Amino acid sequence: MAIPTFLLGKKREGLAKILGIGTTAVVFGISLIIVGLYQYGNPGFQLTETGQWASTFGLNYIVGIDGISLPLLILASLLCLLAAAGSRDMISIKQPEYYALFLIFETGIIGVFTSLNLILFYVFWEIVLIPMFFFIGIWGGPRRKYASLKFLIFTYAGSAIMLFGFVALYAWTGSQGAPSFDYSTILAGAAKLALPFQVAASLATFVGFAVKLPIFPLHTWLPDAHVEAPAPVSVLLAGLLLKMGGYGLIRYNLLLFPAADKLLWPVFTAIGLITMVYGASVAFVAQDMKRMIAMTSVNHMGYVLLGTFTLGSIGISAAVFQMFAHGLAVGMLFLMSGYIHEHTGTRNINELRGLRGKMPTTTLLLILGSMAAMAVPAFANFISEYQVIQGALSANYLFGFAILAPALTVGYFLWMLRRVVMTPAEGAKNEIHLHSQLILAAFLVPLLVFGIYPAPLLGSAIKPTVDHLLSVLFPGGR
Amino acid sequence: MLVTPAGLIKQRKSGIGVAPYAGLTGIVIALASTIWLGFYGGPSQIFGGFQIDLFTYFFTGVLLLVSLFVAISSLDYMKGDSNTAPYFGLLLLSTLGMIVLAASMDLILLYVGWELMSIPTYALTAIKKKDPNSNEAAVKFFVMSALSSALLVFAISMTFGITGSTSLPAIASSLGTLTGDTRSFALIAIVMFVAGFGVKMAVVPFHMWIPDAFEGAPTTISALLAAGAKMAAFAAAFRVFIVAFTTVNIDWYSTFAIVAIATMTLGNVAALMQKSFTRLLAYSSIAQAGYVMIALAAPFTANGSPLGLAGGLFHVLNYSIVKTAAFVAAAAVGTRLSVSTLDSFNGLAKRMPQTAFNITIFFLALAGVPPLNGFFSKVMLFTGAVYSPYSWGGYLAIAALLNSGFSMSYYGWLIKRMYFDDPADSSRIKEPRAYTSVMWMATALVFIIGLYPDPWIRLVQSAAASLLPTH
Repeated sequence: MAIPTFLLGKKREGLAKILGIGTTAVVFGISLIIVGLYQYGNPGFQLTETGQWASTFGLNYIVGIDGISLPLLILASLLCLLAAAGSRDMISIKQPEYYALFLIFETGIIGVFTSLNLILFYVFWEIVLIPMFFFIGIWGGPRRKYASLKFLIFTYAGSAIMLFGFVALYAWTGSQGAPSFDYSTILAGAAKLALPFQVAASLATFVGFAVKLPIFPLHTWLPDAHVEAPAPVSVLLAGLLLKMGGYGLIRYNLLLFPAADKLLWPVFTAIGLITMVYGASVAFVAQDMKRMIAMTSVNHMGYVLLGTFTLGSIGISAAVFQMFAHGLAVGMLFLMSGYIHEHTGTRNINELRGLRGKMPTTTLLLILGSMAAMAVPAFANFISEYQVIQGALSANYLFGFAILAPALTVGYFLWMLRRVVMTPAEGAKNEIHLHSQLILAAFLVPLLVFGIYPAPLLGSAIKPTVDHLLSVLFPGGR
Repeated sequence: MLVTPAGLIKQRKSGIGVAPYAGLTGIVIALASTIWLGFYGGPSQIFGGFQIDLFTYFFTGVLLLVSLFVAISSLDYMKGDSNTAPYFGLLLLSTLGMIVLAASMDLILLYVGWELMSIPTYALTAIKKKDPNSNEAAVKFFVMSALSSALLVFAISMTFGITGSTSLPAIASSLGTLTGDTRSFALIAIVMFVAGFGVKMAVVPFHMWIPDAFEGAPTTISALLAAGAKMAAFAAAFRVFIVAFTTVNIDWYSTFAIVAIATMTLGNVAALMQKSFTRLLAYSSIAQAGYVMIALAAPFTANGSPLGLAGGLFHVLNYSIVKTAAFVAAAAVGTRLSVSTLDSFNGLAKRMPQTAFNITIFFLALAGVPPLNGFFSKVMLFTGAVYSPYSWGGYLAIAALLNSGFSMSYYGWLIKRMYFDDPADSSRIKEPRAYTSVMWMATALVFIIGLYPDPWIRLVQSAAASLLPTH
């Protein structure tokens, strides 16, 4: 389990490109081995690896995976591989630095999804931040300086507040015996936490995760960062960085503070609902294709927040599945917007009219990618979004309003397609390379496979873990 | 045993032509013997007013490291200056004063160390005789510093008056039995101690002289003042408050908490508005002093372990390494570009790539980004605050964390200038070996401590434990 984490050692060569992409491929291979080794149906942590790190201060090196982290681990290694492959065409300056930072990023993101010690988690969480700052600042678009600094300050401030929650938990375990930052120790005692303490710590960690997710009032860094970042980095941002927020919400915020959840869930779900509808509405008016896709992320991550705090098995499982599906769909769209920009010189939706004349295959892929994002049945997104809303409805019929969001999503995607695709073909043919088409098509494979047959992931990995954890935390139901 | 390193330093100070190298060798030998003694020196011992324990060794090591960094970079900084020999002599003398300060268990000795540390730095600040800025800085610094010495003498005499002793353990035992009338005197003594140390520690509201002095003084001396003198003052404050005044029935902990919050907030907010790099570093050092103050405000956890204190010592170590090296970087940029306004840092990554990279690492470490060293000491401090027996501990931690998050805005802003902005003139600048070697040494330490903090955490925990009175 630790192997992917420490692969970063080799970096910065003249052959940076090959080494960079090669390393991500090896990490993906290792994650496939992990998929094979994972015992499906077993709800606990598996393949754990422990080590002494700074144990005098309660910091241990503990990594392991369960049904919640498994899909995200696969997602992380797959997206890193595809984004690195996509970088081949789009990153032409300072390649050694780029791929070195890329591997640091991958180390961080895999660490976030696997670490089982609060401070270790925080360390990886922050490791992700610094490469991203440089990605946007050095390789980004015209407003990159502003966007990168805004991103850094927003997320760093958010995580500082989150750290308060962690530190408070350490002090609390100290009052119960030996102080510890270990996740399982804290989880075991979660039910005993006093309510005011839970509410305070829950709100502190919520701010940290909500900035990353992002939720409605704290999302303003996102459109800037996503639009200015180079396309492969947008893939990482939308596909993985936002998932850190969602993962943190489930792993820490939901599971460590059960009593606070019971109190605060109406607030959190309402925020999720607002985020969903708000993101979709703003996406309608976006002229820039990348900005529209960025707002899609806000729109879709709202589902994760809503699903998580329905406090029901269906909703939480669907939230995890939604992160997996959304990461792939939005990653594909971002990478495609990069290719389209390179070949046509614009990302403005109105100027892209008649795209099928220039790039017929890409147009086909755009339609398929949009279908995935619109949650058309047969794509994994349909299952996750359907189940989030189902879970929400079973919690309270008022969540019927949630149906507004998918309707709006379909609306703005169809409108975009009408302007770009359903217009007379224009211009001479200028198609992207075959390997680029294959990279884009690779995103669709898992979406379709798990969209048609979700059971291996949803039924035998995610759900057992979620059910198990819920039965421990909420023995009497919500 | 302390005399060994200390004596070595003194011996070497009188060299003439070879003064810099003699001084450097002296520091290296002293540092090596301190580390050796720290490992094999056995239990703590008392020589008159000196207490030679792990706490002493720890601070001696840190201070010698600072002085080593300063001395190496001065090899280039003082090149061509006629006052090189006195410069290095004074540098060593001042370092000796700091070490005496950190080792003293007696208030009189403490005062001797205080003056021994301060007086050479007045001359060092003014060593560029023809530079009016340097002279102005020296005068300002002298006035403030003399005031702090006066306050300290007052506090010492007051303490002697109510307890009849100048030895810290003796003071501790007699302060435990204070009654009505003398209690108010103890209160005055505490206030005077806070003010006296506060000037050197540069905590609000005694911080005013810092930015001017650091900007005017030779940049290498600013490094000595910011890391060396400041941390030695903290060492003395730890000794006086944790050893002597823990027994007194006066709540000075919450005072320190308020001072800590004010200091870090003011430092961080003011740093954001600076236009010169040295002033930015000066305010950031004020902010960092605020974090170390948490160790005085919340030294012990609810179950009595000195977590906050250990975190404070750890932060002293990390801060000293990083801040000294950051000032050295400022010296490198300042001497090569002749201006150190923030605009001259635009595109520095293209002109001085090594310096820019190292400054980035130092700033991330100061902001507390893991896995660099500054993160772990900050987490220990914040945990110490939350875990303290006081009801305000949580608020102190929240204030410190918000500050820590806020500080990223100016650190990140400067990194943005160095890496993303375009320079006005993109010619490459030669980076002198003296500066870059210090910077790379510091960066190596930042990573070594950050990636495997366990031995260092053990060290500071033992050092903190050795400070505590055994009674």
